[in-house]
Amino acid sequence: MKLSTKGRYSLQTLVHLATCKENCSIRKISEATGISSGYLEQLMIPLRRAQLVVAERGVNGGYRLARSGITCHDVLVASEGDFHPAPCKECEKNGLCKTHQIWSLLQHTVIEFAKDVYIEDLASHLVESGTGGGI
Amino acid sequence: MKISTRGRYGLRLLVDIVENGGNGPVALSTVAKRQNLSEKYLQQVALLLTRGGFLNSVKGSGGGYLLKDRAEQILIYNVLDLLEGSISFQEEDAEKESPIERIIRLHFYAQLDQEIARVFESLTLADVCKADWFTYEI
Repeated sequence: MKLSTKGRYSLQTLVHLATCKENCSIRKISEATGISSGYLEQLMIPLRRAQLVVAERGVNGGYRLARSGITCHDVLVASEGDFHPAPCKECEKNGLCKTHQIWSLLQHTVIEFAKDVYIEDLASHLVESGTGGGI
Repeated sequence: MKISTRGRYGLRLLVDIVENGGNGPVALSTVAKRQNLSEKYLQQVALLLTRGGFLNSVKGSGGGYLLKDRAEQILIYNVLDLLEGSISFQEEDAEKESPIERIIRLHFYAQLDQEIARVFESLTLADVCKADWFTYEI
């Protein structure tokens, strides 16, 4: 069981941005994360829409975090969408199926846990380990 | 985050066997009808569950599948770990990871794995087969 590539890459992108004091270009994010520039551009669309990152044009333009207090849950909702572990909504047995309860427990556990993990805290671990990107 | 078809069908198969296995082995053809699942696919999942030590296969007429242990002794966590290959959120290839990936693994995925293990620790197949032990709208 894994998060989608989109979800994992979005987390990496946000953690890197949290280590940057100024706007960070796609090229620099790409160097720090190893994610291609083209893919980063795509990842940014839902992240901007969810108002987790802001983009500025111009010489010192680039991306930065839109606010403080962003959690892993915020990022995953923006990038993965609903993240249901099983497609129960389309299932005719929804409501009758006992295994449905397992998937909802799993989903609930992941959501509640991800709500308590802050991007800035992950970034501070990165800085402590001496491998901080943009500072 | 997605549970595979194998994981979903496997659990439905086990629940069906608990609910219908009172009078001996359960034939996959009857499970396929009741659950509206492909019998061919159920055969593959049943084979995996047998090799994994959760089911016994009974050959011959009146044959089918039985639980190897009592439902109270079968942990959902172990079943999922088998069916999904691994229930962990961590990437297998930790050697090639970047510093950012390492931090996210240590401080998010690894701890999320522990939390899931904690929540699922004592949940058995028998619990799941009881009606409505847990409901969240998803």
